[in-house]
Amino acid sequence: MNTANTDDLFLRPVSVEAALAALGDQAVLVAGGTWVMRAPLRGESIDRVFVSLSGIAHMHAISHDTEFLRLGALVTHDGLGACTRNLPEMGALMQAATMSANPAIRSTATLGGNICAVGFPAADLVPALIALDARFEVQTQTGPETVNVATYLQSGAYRGGKEILTTILIPRQTGRSAHARALLRKAGEYPVANVSAFIGLNADNVIETVRIAVGALEATPKRWHGLETALKGLPFSTAAAEKAHDHLDEFAPRDSTDAPGWYRLRVLPGLVGQAFATIADHMLEGA
Amino acid sequence: MSSVKDSVVMNLPRRDARDKLQGRTKYTVDVGGVEVLHAALLRAEVASARIKRVDISAALAMPGVQAIVSASDAPGLHGMGVADHPIFAANTVRYHGEPIAAIAADTLAQARAAAAAIVVEYDRLPAVLTMADALASDAPLVHPEWRDYEILFDGGVRGGNVAWQATVVRGDTDAAFARDDVTIVEGVYQVGRQNHVPFEPRAVTATYEDGRYHIHTSTQAPWTVKHVTARVLGVPESAVHVTVPAVGGGFGLKFDCSLEPYAAILARKTGRTVSQVNSRKEEMMTCLCRENADIRIRSAVTQDGEIVGREATVLMDCGAYGGEQVFLTTMTAHTLGGNYKLGSVRLCTKAVYTNTPPNGAFRACNGVYNTFALERHTDEICAAIDMDPIAFRHRNVVGDGDIGATGQVFQGNVLAPMLDQLTAKYPVKRRSGTLPDGRLYGRATTVGTWFIFVGPSAATVNLNADGSATLVTAGVEIGSGTMMQSLPQIVAANLGIHPDKVIVKTADTDAAGRDLGVGGGRTTVSIGAASEAACAQVREKLLGVAAELLQTSADKLVLSGGRVEIRGRPGSGTTIEKIVQQAEVSIGPLSGSGAFTAPGERSMPGCAAGHFIDAIDIPVFAVHDCEVAVDPVTGHVEILSYRLVQDVGLALNPRAIHGQIQGGVVQGIGYALSEEITIDANGAFDQTGFETYRLPLAGDVVQIEFDLYEGAPSIGPLGTKGAGEVPILNVAAAIGCAVTNATGKSVTTLPMTPPRIAALLDGRTCLPEMDHIDPHWLANLL
Amino acid sequence: MPVTFTLNGQQRQFSGDPRASLLDALRRDFRLTGTKDVCGEGFCGACLVYIDGVPKVSCLLPIGALEGSKVTTIEGVGARETLTPVQQAFEDFDVVQCGMCFPGMVLTVTHFLQTNPRPSRDDVKSALVGNICRCTGYERIIDAVMSLHNSAEGPE
Repeated sequence: MNTANTDDLFLRPVSVEAALAALGDQAVLVAGGTWVMRAPLRGESIDRVFVSLSGIAHMHAISHDTEFLRLGALVTHDGLGACTRNLPEMGALMQAATMSANPAIRSTATLGGNICAVGFPAADLVPALIALDARFEVQTQTGPETVNVATYLQSGAYRGGKEILTTILIPRQTGRSAHARALLRKAGEYPVANVSAFIGLNADNVIETVRIAVGALEATPKRWHGLETALKGLPFSTAAAEKAHDHLDEFAPRDSTDAPGWYRLRVLPGLVGQAFATIADHMLEGA
Repeated sequence: MSSVKDSVVMNLPRRDARDKLQGRTKYTVDVGGVEVLHAALLRAEVASARIKRVDISAALAMPGVQAIVSASDAPGLHGMGVADHPIFAANTVRYHGEPIAAIAADTLAQARAAAAAIVVEYDRLPAVLTMADALASDAPLVHPEWRDYEILFDGGVRGGNVAWQATVVRGDTDAAFARDDVTIVEGVYQVGRQNHVPFEPRAVTATYEDGRYHIHTSTQAPWTVKHVTARVLGVPESAVHVTVPAVGGGFGLKFDCSLEPYAAILARKTGRTVSQVNSRKEEMMTCLCRENADIRIRSAVTQDGEIVGREATVLMDCGAYGGEQVFLTTMTAHTLGGNYKLGSVRLCTKAVYTNTPPNGAFRACNGVYNTFALERHTDEICAAIDMDPIAFRHRNVVGDGDIGATGQVFQGNVLAPMLDQLTAKYPVKRRSGTLPDGRLYGRATTVGTWFIFVGPSAATVNLNADGSATLVTAGVEIGSGTMMQSLPQIVAANLGIHPDKVIVKTADTDAAGRDLGVGGGRTTVSIGAASEAACAQVREKLLGVAAELLQTSADKLVLSGGRVEIRGRPGSGTTIEKIVQQAEVSIGPLSGSGAFTAPGERSMPGCAAGHFIDAIDIPVFAVHDCEVAVDPVTGHVEILSYRLVQDVGLALNPRAIHGQIQGGVVQGIGYALSEEITIDANGAFDQTGFETYRLPLAGDVVQIEFDLYEGAPSIGPLGTKGAGEVPILNVAAAIGCAVTNATGKSVTTLPMTPPRIAALLDGRTCLPEMDHIDPHWLANLL
Repeated sequence: MPVTFTLNGQQRQFSGDPRASLLDALRRDFRLTGTKDVCGEGFCGACLVYIDGVPKVSCLLPIGALEGSKVTTIEGVGARETLTPVQQAFEDFDVVQCGMCFPGMVLTVTHFLQTNPRPSRDDVKSALVGNICRCTGYERIIDAVMSLHNSAEGPE
């Protein structure tokens, strides 16, 4: 598609509606660009129309009230790290945003891009969003829709290119959350496994609400329901994380060049332990 | 000469740092512009096949395409020891990534599009992807025609999938192993490949002018490029002119000819300047890696720690073509066969053909994994006879008058005092334990032997009218700083001027004499020695003219501070500029030329067979000590401290050596812990980029604490030895031994990635499968 | 319509395929070769530039997205005839080897020190995690950074 008129190759709509109208079979949505620009390395063609979302102002917006933290899909990892710093229950998202990749990528890569990167199993933000029970506002051909994070992921990320994820809503809630990731080096790479945990306690220090999400183990991040059930109603302690050993059979971990499946599974209880330790620290600070 | 030695040592800064920091340096990859054509290779996507048909007609008709060339354009075979390597697959594909055709087009995208449009039909053949496969009795041959190849160096035994075999036999090992007072310790070790990952990939720009090829390239060995390009193109060597700008990292990868012949042919065909640069993926997937190796080693040791017999077999995977590995079979004698006094020894090293990308040279080639195997084996011996590992090493390391594996006599006690130096500074309190955070602690101390690879070098020195000197050699600045620091320091000290007044000509085979190339730690030594010899001629002429001018005899004159003075009478003489001026009217401009080559250390006749050299001219020793913490939860190995003593002869530029030690050890840390290459069923590397090939990052390294050991015997100029090669030598050995001490489990494979250490801790790991090396040493010989 | 942006202080236009990476455009079209093409995946940092003052990897930025942006490459850092303090420290500590990673290193460290004037050694390591160097083993680079008087641990 080496047409003389380069204007047709790179579109910068200023509204979601215009962006949606520009989406065709030959188009690809571009947010930060860090995933799309590597398509040739994955053996995919990059010879498609780029529909850049960066001109849509409200997709960069961040706001919060007593009900929700609202994040435009184009908020970068850096932006996310900054806006969650003082929101106590958002620890998992803050950690995921500030620990992933490297500084130059964190200033470019977006929340929406992390969610919509097709075929990327090791996203850090997604398990955090699951643990925080996020909802997504999606602009479809028939209008806006709000879907739960799990529903969205199940239906296949960025469903067929016919809609645009515009806003991520995270409910404000009482509790603490944390993110932990297993790497083969100290930093600067994709995790071979990651865990986000949200814990809400009642007045007796008993676990009332628990959501644990696991990423990088399988093709798509998912909730660890067995472990959640086992933890609910227990007094909270870092030792409770030991329960993770009893529920590893919920996963069918993937083998890949970076790590074998058995290893991903092996490090999982340790990650739950790390996340719990962080949560325990935060609770002490909060107390 | 003591004044020369006094004035040569300094922390001279690098003259190329400024431009490199400002982004101004023009590497080969930076040559471009609208006048330049871009080349791409069509590479095979199968490991082993017969080529049925290649159809370039559609590709030729594509936009921007200027020329397409293939096997018929470059019929010659090249190699080391054996000429087995064509630059294009003609009828047979022997590895995934082997070039089939080269395309030049107006843009790189057009060249790549044309490569993709070439139609190739294959008949797939069975592939041997491992050395175990290649050595099976019914293995298909990678080179069925191996008997027909031209032999370039006599003496190696060859056959089937064995490209080359080198052996060492000294003394009666059978008798040693049969003694009733010995403990026999046996070990098997297996290591993977290591990719150099130079930040500048292999790259070249070529033109064809006045009937000659001008190759401007990113290489460590311009004369090798000249020789190989001429050979495969079937033209005289004099028709190839090679120049080399700043090289963006080599580490041994660029010691071979690589892309240069393709660009040369395309330049002639198109009449244009052709730029060819490996994409990062090509660079990763066709890297001439440090080879994977399989090792079996066996020793007979008395209860008081005397090594009376040692036998080892080392298999080196050369990939589809022999290349450097043929030569490197020689090195086992001095690496695995090094460090220790041996009552008797038998070593067999084979370079084995497989249908995988060819391997090559990499910093302390062969030495890194043989030292790992040897030092792990040494610790196993210490455990078996219950002897302190440092005491055992102290007792057995070669010292003055001791003989090496091939019977060469070593001079000077070096390793033992180096061990003392390290243990005195860092006393060993414990070798294993548990840290307060639950991690497993381990410490180990290892020794290593490397050698400076000498060989031919030439240098010319011109003394200029302004009192500066120009040094002309074929030496290349690959990043180590030798051409920026050691050489101007040596020339300056010999001529009594400041190094800033020494102009260093970048490598140009039309201007400088033959040189073996930058590698093996040889540049300071070989080019340095040739430069000193050239300076000696200049000095002689200079002092002769000065003596006449100053009405004295030449032996009363000294050169210092840019002046010639009568000894003991500062201010009595005159400036070098004045002498040069005088020389122009009396004898002409002052210049000198010098040369150096391997002097040829003696070995014991009959010990070594198939060796390219039987003894080593400049041994270099290293003692490394490492503390680790192993996380039982993740298998992650953290290095807590890394300390070493390195034998450098004379430290010309201590600060630059610091940089080489820090960088070399970290490359070794990568090799030991994270850099892994695996090969898929199709014969291709799984690690195609920086996501999957794990280089050490800033968070993964530690500050290396080091001491330099000076004064060991060396034939190098002013007693120097190369300092850049050896820091990587025993890193995997030291970490491997420390992890073994930490975990109580024997480390036998590299790299020690977290999954591999977790498997070791879990008891999931078995010893590496080593049925293809017979425990009976003799049975391994061809 | 060409992409119009500011490159090292001068207004420039790019009329080629707007999906091209900024890296390719800089090296191929503007012939600014100080920005290095090494991994192409955002891991190594050799192609780092500033976009509106923020360090980003130019290999992953489509140039079409840069309409109206301010792009600064290594060639646009400091005055041409002199070294910046960071460059000077790197020269003084003799940390440069092959040099390919240093344009990116200089940009990362310069920006980092602006926002973290008194870093610890570990802070510097974290900041450098996206700048890979194959030659130096990093620690000498960090020594040079720590020598700048604004570091928390003071000059070494």
